[in-house]
Amino acid sequence: MRGFWPILKRELFAFFVTPLAWVLIVSFLVVQGMHFFLLVDHFAREADVTGDETPLSAFFGNTVLLYLVLFVLVPPMTMRLFAEERRSGTIETLMTAPVSNAAVVLAKYAAALITYVAMWIPTVLYLVILARTGDLDWRAAMSAYLGVLLVGAGYLAVGLCASALTRSQFLAMVWTALVLLVLFILGIGEFVTRDGTLMHEVCTHVSVWSHMNDFASGVVDSRRLVFYGTLVVLPLFIATRAVDAWRWG
Amino acid sequence: MGEHDGVHSSERRACADAPSFVGVRVRSTRVLDEMRRVPGHGRPLPPYDRARAPEYKDRALIAVSHLIKRYGAAMAVDDVSFEVGRGEVVGFLGPNGAGKSTTLRILAGFLGPTSGKVTIAGHDVVDEPFEARRSVGYMPEGVPLYPEMRVVEYLRFRAELKRVPRAIRRTNVEEAMRKAGVVEVATKRIGHLSKGYRQRVGLADAIVAKPPIVVLDEPTAGLDPNQIREARALVRELGRDHTVVLSTHILGEVETCATRVLLLHRGKLVAEGPTDRIRAMRKEAAVELTLRGEARAAETVLAAVEAVAQVSRLQSADGACRIRLTFAPALPIDERARATERCVAALVGADIGVREVRAAGGSLEDVFAALTASGSPSEEPEA
Repeated sequence: MRGFWPILKRELFAFFVTPLAWVLIVSFLVVQGMHFFLLVDHFAREADVTGDETPLSAFFGNTVLLYLVLFVLVPPMTMRLFAEERRSGTIETLMTAPVSNAAVVLAKYAAALITYVAMWIPTVLYLVILARTGDLDWRAAMSAYLGVLLVGAGYLAVGLCASALTRSQFLAMVWTALVLLVLFILGIGEFVTRDGTLMHEVCTHVSVWSHMNDFASGVVDSRRLVFYGTLVVLPLFIATRAVDAWRWG
Repeated sequence: MGEHDGVHSSERRACADAPSFVGVRVRSTRVLDEMRRVPGHGRPLPPYDRARAPEYKDRALIAVSHLIKRYGAAMAVDDVSFEVGRGEVVGFLGPNGAGKSTTLRILAGFLGPTSGKVTIAGHDVVDEPFEARRSVGYMPEGVPLYPEMRVVEYLRFRAELKRVPRAIRRTNVEEAMRKAGVVEVATKRIGHLSKGYRQRVGLADAIVAKPPIVVLDEPTAGLDPNQIREARALVRELGRDHTVVLSTHILGEVETCATRVLLLHRGKLVAEGPTDRIRAMRKEAAVELTLRGEARAAETVLAAVEAVAQVSRLQSADGACRIRLTFAPALPIDERARATERCVAALVGADIGVREVRAAGGSLEDVFAALTASGSPSEEPEA
């Protein structure tokens, strides 16, 4: 892991010294804040008709808002990671330092992941508000945040991979959004394919929608962990190979 | 075996000769042992110094043999072999697309060779990439930098990335900034700097880890004449502490900076030689004229023209002659064209028809031709 720490520090610096990270975080918090407000308002008025749904499970699961936000946020977060350095040529100074390819990929990924976590941290306040006004299952909350972390980790890995495969930031963004959208739509197929068919099995396995529903209600399924583990490791592996390919191409 | 026995007996003798006090005797025989480990020397080895390690002490700092780099079907570098010794400043000269950048990128470790062997300070770039890269400070073409960082932040980051120990990082960065002349802009953002300063930041980055070798790709591209002069002075300065390899397509640049020139053309090393020879060739820069009329009359007219140093007759046929005229070595390049005009005007004024005017010597192509024509590169004396 030669060069991991300095690159991680520089990437975080690059995220937070430019307005991009702040714009993303602010817009993310505005959307999540409105989402939370509407939910609480809804539950306050119709507490008797909501059944076993809680504000917590509704905030993280059974909602399109989570994915919508990730579709918009993840591609711009990851598009510049490699594409910008290749376009400007700084990749040359970076890769001629004594650094290993894996360290470069992992450091950039870690920086994106840390930024993503930083985006979510303020939302813990919502839970504190909920806990003050009623009962809150903290274990379910932790499971929900685990889900958020896993989904984000997988999406960011896809974005990083796209950024390593093209010189153009715009193309990296479009590719990332496209892959995430296809993944999401494939998951939605869970609800339109017939039960028992192979297609249904596949769709259920990749369905982010039901994954988040599970996590939001406190269910941590090992199949989900394997799925997101794959979604992180595979793109990162491809990205490392891509970095290696520049040298020998 | 006899030698072995000898060592043993002398060791015994050393033990016997040593003072009887146990601690001292043990210590003194150990010293003697160490002395004997150096073959052919009675003195112990000096402290281990990588730069003086025997494996490349007397050999070239950079050794490239039969280097080939292909991009798909295109041949970027085609069977290039050369060596660079310690303390040399070597210039790669050639037109755009000659393979200069590709060669330098391989030396710096950004690209891997398709085939061939490249050794940097004794480390093979394929087998020991990290050690090889640590021995090189590289400034790519166009000096790519992170615009959002401040100069001193950038250099600290680069020093850390290049594994400069924390204890000496600060002094290394300060020294690199002082040498490259960027102390006054240390806290400015790189994106706000002029092109000249960015170039200096790139140079500071190249030397921040104090590598034995500095590789500079087109170090003066895109600078104005003043900045070019400053950059060249800096490169010469670097040549005192480092072995420098640079590339350029400007003949004058290698003349002022390099001690040796390698000429690349279409991926092949077509010639190499010390800069002095190139400079001498340039000084002879001449014009060849084909004239109607008698050669003697033309010679008289031309000799009277200012800035003409020498007029010589090449050949005369009936009614026409070829004349070579040489300008004074001190005459700047751009003045030569004007001097040529004056010559032609003088000839026409004397009713001598000018049929052809051709520059002979001075251009890159002429140096190319001259160097390629002269024997094998290995016979060239070292600069």
